[in-house]
Amino acid sequence: MSFLDMEQVSFTYPGRPDVVQRVDWRIGQGQFHCLVGRSGCGKTTLLKLAAGLLQPSEGRITLHGAPLAPPGPQLGFVFQSPTLLEWRTVLDNVLLPLSLSHKPTSQEVARAQQLLALMGLSAGERHYPRHLSGGQQSRVAIARALVGEPAMLLLDEPFAALDAITREELQDDLLALCRLRQTTVFFVTHDIAEAVYLADRVAVMDCGRIRHDLQVELPRPRGRQIRYSPAFNALCAQLRAAMDGGAP
Amino acid sequence: MSAGWRRFGAWALLAAGLLGWEFLARAMKLSALVLPPPSAVLAALWQGLRSGYFLPHIGQTVLELLLGLTAGCALGLASGVLLGESAALRRLLMPYVVTSQVVPKLALAPLFIVWFGFGMTSTVVITALICFFPLMENTMTGIAQVDARRLELFRMLGATRWQTLLRLKIPAGLPGILAGFRVAVVLALVGAVVGEFIGGSQGLGALIIASQGMMDTPLMFAVLALITLLGLGLYQFAVALEKRLLKSRMTTLQKEIKK
Repeated sequence: MSFLDMEQVSFTYPGRPDVVQRVDWRIGQGQFHCLVGRSGCGKTTLLKLAAGLLQPSEGRITLHGAPLAPPGPQLGFVFQSPTLLEWRTVLDNVLLPLSLSHKPTSQEVARAQQLLALMGLSAGERHYPRHLSGGQQSRVAIARALVGEPAMLLLDEPFAALDAITREELQDDLLALCRLRQTTVFFVTHDIAEAVYLADRVAVMDCGRIRHDLQVELPRPRGRQIRYSPAFNALCAQLRAAMDGGAP
Repeated sequence: MSAGWRRFGAWALLAAGLLGWEFLARAMKLSALVLPPPSAVLAALWQGLRSGYFLPHIGQTVLELLLGLTAGCALGLASGVLLGESAALRRLLMPYVVTSQVVPKLALAPLFIVWFGFGMTSTVVITALICFFPLMENTMTGIAQVDARRLELFRMLGATRWQTLLRLKIPAGLPGILAGFRVAVVLALVGAVVGEFIGGSQGLGALIIASQGMMDTPLMFAVLALITLLGLGLYQFAVALEKRLLKSRMTTLQKEIKK
């Protein structure tokens, strides 16, 4: 049974053409799916629909066979920018999703500290976000999304503003963290290599529709050597052709 | 130039100004009624402080100021939050808010004396009214202009409206709110002193009017000096509060400016 199931989902802002048109997409438990496309093709809207931040104007979205619950800590969401609260310490920022519903238990604090340690940030947990670099802030945002142990993680171009090397490190961190608890991931990006490196399956979106669907059969765990392998490059070329509208 | 030298320069300028004033007042043989030399002002100040003559007046002004400031800021904060939260309320009340903003609040002082009588109540009401607006305006703006991405984050986390207000909007608007407080503190002193001009028998403002009646200009200057010191103290308090509450988000540049 699929985990997240979108059936004939459309979304329209009043008085404008459809932003998302009759999209069908299924994500299985523990899978990592990427959604690529040019700016303005409706990727972010589709992700917000999957998160329950927006309601589809047509079609339906189910999670585990049940209608999508209103947004809450059961889903992890990482935005384009880290959006940390600059008046809270790094640790408090990570604990924010939990502290909205209750005072975090010592177990939960330990979990947050463990997440930060996995991200190589344990030394900075008492610092304020402005002391951190852009890459470190993105790491904190990921830790915040994972602290509630969500079954599903949704990410909206979280690494777009980072330099290439930091981005690669974060991609590896993200893969490792998601494997740890078999988190299901839906990741939006416009970076072809990023999509191929991270995903089990890539959806290509254009003008509100999913045009192509690419299986990525690369072995896991993936490491740096894969980024330069011929199979990787072939997949990137295939994805690029698909984005240009050619045959996948 | 190091910070120490700059501070020394500022004090040296003050000393030079006072000396020049003293020299001019003596050289031109100005009557103490028009411009008393600083030495005469200092003597009046010392005399008043030593004899305890100033004490009840200072106490009265400080009391009115604190009461007015507290009431005005509390009301300003509360209305700012209400208006910032509710766009409908804002649309309804904004024209009135703007209109009441441009009414010179001090011009209402005589009316308050009719309503509340001579004495402390009128002065406290004027002070509160004058503090109310900067705080309300800044709170409203700060709360209504929270970053849309952060609001989306809180929506994603399933936060209630109350949580979003307390944990996002007010902290995010805090720099603006505190800037409003800094303005309110200075205006509060104006409100208290002018209130006493018109309706007070005690307080530093009333003392200025009394010294005018007694043609005791050195006393007037001495009281002015006291008011200035009071204002400086309040302002420093507001700055210290700001520094403390915003410590975590100040950049190095802002820290340098605040020094």
